Amino acid sequence: MEQVLIKLTVNGREEDVRVSPHKTLLEVLRDDLSLTGAKNGCEDGSCGTCTVLLDGAAVRSCLLLAMEAQGHEIVTIEGLSDGQNMSPLQEIFVNQGAVQCGFCSPGMILTAKALLDSASSPTETEIREAISGNLCRCTGYTKIVEAVMAASGQPVPVRTHPYEGDVSERAAS
Amino acid sequence: MTDFSVVGKRRPRLDTIPRALGEAKFSADLGLPGMVYGKVLRSPYPHARILNIDTSQAERLPGVKAIITSKDVMPYKWGVFAYTRDQQLLPLDKTRYLGEEVAAVAAVDEDTAAEAAALIRVEWEPLPYVIDPLAALEEGAPLVHEDKPGNVSVRIFVDEGDVDNAMADAYLVDEGEFTSPEENYCMLEPYAVVANYESTGVDIWCPNAGPHMKARPISNALGIPTSMVRVRKVHIGGHHGGRSEVSPADFMAALLSKKARRPVKLVYTREENMNCVRQVHGARTWVRAGVTKEGKLVGLDFKLIMDGGAYASTGPIAASVAYQMIEETYAMPNLRYEAIRAYTNKPPRGMYPHHPRTTYGGLEMVLDALAEKLGMDPMELRLRNSVYEGYVTPTKTVISSCGQIETIQRAAEKAGWKEKYGKLPPGRGIGMSSSACLIGFPMGIRGGSGAFVRFNEDGDATVISGVVDNGQGNDAMIAAIAAEELGLPIEAIKVVTADTSMTPSDQGAYSQASTILSGGAVKAAAADAKRQLFDVAADLLEANKEDLVARDGKIFIKGSPEKSVSLAKAARTALGRDKAILGRGDRWPKGDHKREWVSNPRGQLASAFSYGTAIAEVEVDMETGRVKLLNMTAAHDCGYPINPLSVEQQMHRSALEAGPAGVMLERHAWTAAGQNINANFTDYWFPLATDVPNIETIIVTTNDKFGPFGAKEGGLSISIAMIGAVANAIRNAIGTTVHDFPMTPDVVLRAIEARNESESGSTTHE
Ligand code: FES
Ligand code: FES
Repeated sequence: MEQVLIKLTVNGREEDVRVSPHKTLLEVLRDDLSLTGAKNGCEDGSCGTCTVLLDGAAVRSCLLLAMEAQGHEIVTIEGLSDGQNMSPLQEIFVNQGAVQCGFCSPGMILTAKALLDSASSPTETEIREAISGNLCRCTGYTKIVEAVMAASGQPVPVRTHPYEGDVSERAAS
Repeated sequence: MTDFSVVGKRRPRLDTIPRALGEAKFSADLGLPGMVYGKVLRSPYPHARILNIDTSQAERLPGVKAIITSKDVMPYKWGVFAYTRDQQLLPLDKTRYLGEEVAAVAAVDEDTAAEAAALIRVEWEPLPYVIDPLAALEEGAPLVHEDKPGNVSVRIFVDEGDVDNAMADAYLVDEGEFTSPEENYCMLEPYAVVANYESTGVDIWCPNAGPHMKARPISNALGIPTSMVRVRKVHIGGHHGGRSEVSPADFMAALLSKKARRPVKLVYTREENMNCVRQVHGARTWVRAGVTKEGKLVGLDFKLIMDGGAYASTGPIAASVAYQMIEETYAMPNLRYEAIRAYTNKPPRGMYPHHPRTTYGGLEMVLDALAEKLGMDPMELRLRNSVYEGYVTPTKTVISSCGQIETIQRAAEKAGWKEKYGKLPPGRGIGMSSSACLIGFPMGIRGGSGAFVRFNEDGDATVISGVVDNGQGNDAMIAAIAAEELGLPIEAIKVVTADTSMTPSDQGAYSQASTILSGGAVKAAAADAKRQLFDVAADLLEANKEDLVARDGKIFIKGSPEKSVSLAKAARTALGRDKAILGRGDRWPKGDHKREWVSNPRGQLASAFSYGTAIAEVEVDMETGRVKLLNMTAAHDCGYPINPLSVEQQMHRSALEAGPAGVMLERHAWTAAGQNINANFTDYWFPLATDVPNIETIIVTTNDKFGPFGAKEGGLSISIAMIGAVANAIRNAIGTTVHDFPMTPDVVLRAIEARNESESGSTTHE
């Protein structure tokens, strides 16, 4: 198929790429720009693992043709950090235990970022609605909700009840 | 009193940083020079003979580098056990389910590979097929495997004590029959393989639950020594039971690479991942339970039919675990259990934490019905029947550490059970269930784990273990165990894991064995390395090595940390004396090697048992049958938490997969022609963030003697317990038992209507 030259702005950099017109933004990010942080979990818009920011809004890059993304600011998970130090939001996800296998995490973190950029202290319901298009099989979502609350400076409710300290005495007795 | 500096402490999992950064490479993210792309041609029939495959047209398509068909494969059959070898990784003669692999293409890009696959001409002879497991077991049903009469894949029969007598003598007996269609593992990462076949051997990157468990069958299928197959470390996006075995994709990618003489990447679509890797058994369970007037169980009686799909997979284990978990949960002298796993022309089914939901959930609902008839609080019934340390099950397994009673009490306290049970407004319900989980059963010569610990010049240590991290945090778990044992901060530990050419053999992430076996091996290797360091440090400190301890990077005489030598100095001093610090250790499951799933289901089953109690609260709309899950509480005896955060994470995963997914939403559906109609995330109802309530977790500790630092496993007993908790909560809300999973609004409404009818029916009789 005829290839076309397009210009994309990704993570603040101008990129010239030659692509087939039917290629999705997800394919071009992953295959042409080696930005594999965006994942392909379904390719039909139903899992959210391919989420990127387009002018600050969370979009599914598998549903967008790369050509349509021209003229917009695209941010992928790689664009949140300098590659060495996590951004505060990424760090909170790690510290709260909101990342397990991590396949959903890039999309989830970017969806959370879009939410936090538009709402300063989202309620639990708003958070759950915002991430309801991002599937996660590992976390049960509770710790993700808590991470987003913590990231917006809200107190995180205590939902975990620690084991009773050291019990070796009991075991020894 | 033990005073740990690393284990038992809540800390972020360092292994999750690359995943949060987006730099973690999963199999589909990898690329190699000259790499080409694979696509699979799949059977359009549920059951059909392959008469001829013509690839000539496909081969002529520009960009095609290799095509493989049954002509390229040897008659090797994969099976978990010697007696279950029934799956050709590329079928020679016939396909047994719609979607089974027939041929594969490698080409310069995926589009070309797909185009070429479509050009392969297959001459088919469609055969009669069978989709329903009950029909499959009937006489005259089409045979899925010619050498398996009656389509019986596995039959498990256990009969201990005298169930008939026990039931006859029981004060009360109740029973029920429960059904469930298939579920899906839904790991977020679709299956993907990169294979690079060269003259020295083949390197393979793929999701797996144990690299060593893959290398062997792949080498067998390729006809090369196991040492020539290197299954390599890669990030893995979930296992959940569905990555347990070798996949045809591993074999096909390797063979394509051999033929194309280039690296090959084969990435499954979501549909292929849902349909052609493994699914979860559909099942039908009949259960009968008898109790004394005091609510003591006198016997349990089960009959199960499981829909195993086209191949045996982990069949003998899958058909057995339910009775085992149950006899390790509830003490009762008489147990009868018969499970028949049927072959059908559907995708093969493997292990899943809470399957069959009909058995676990069904029993729990029957127990609640009995409690009700006895006028007893269901919590009391569970307390009275709980197993305990030293208890011997009907099939002769001794329970080691057991915190079940504490999990019941603490979950009940947290969830407000006493205030709520029987006192909720109409339409609201609360339910409880407990469960054991067996940990680490013997798996023969590949059933143990080995580990090495080596010291670097700067005093950091590298741990080398075959353990695999599927996302649950096994890499972080072994790092913590090594850090604690060596007396190093966790940042000073590097791990090298899951690479069959570099790491010692490991049993894999099966039967929740990673912590006790892989972790246990790492602890032993670290202790060995520490002994070697102490030899040197004893000299430097002019002390007896028996008196030394290591902590926070230092070695000192117990009780006098003022005078110390750093581990780094001890390691360097050793090197200066021409001695490298190299620790080694291994750990094997504790169990009766003569016990066998089918032929001899008696003897010590596993190394340890974890316990869990779950409580759920629901609200049911009595007009529509819609269930809202209000909260889930889980208390888990994990032995001892290596990292409490990780244990909670696993409890959360379990709660989601069992409650919202397992009880309320998930099922596969089929056409009469054997087509799976919802192998995608739009039509298969995966729980969303808005479907799942917050999950409260409580960690209970029992310090198991076998596990490293007393640890057992993280979270799986909650998977099983949460099935019964949510099912019983719905039962409690609507005042009747629901017999079919998942309990979607239509199913719940039918149960409500049936109850109303029977109530009005009984009124007219009066
Ligand atoms: S890959 Fe785009 S939504 Fe799933
Ligand atoms: S962390 Fe595994 S899918 Fe979300």
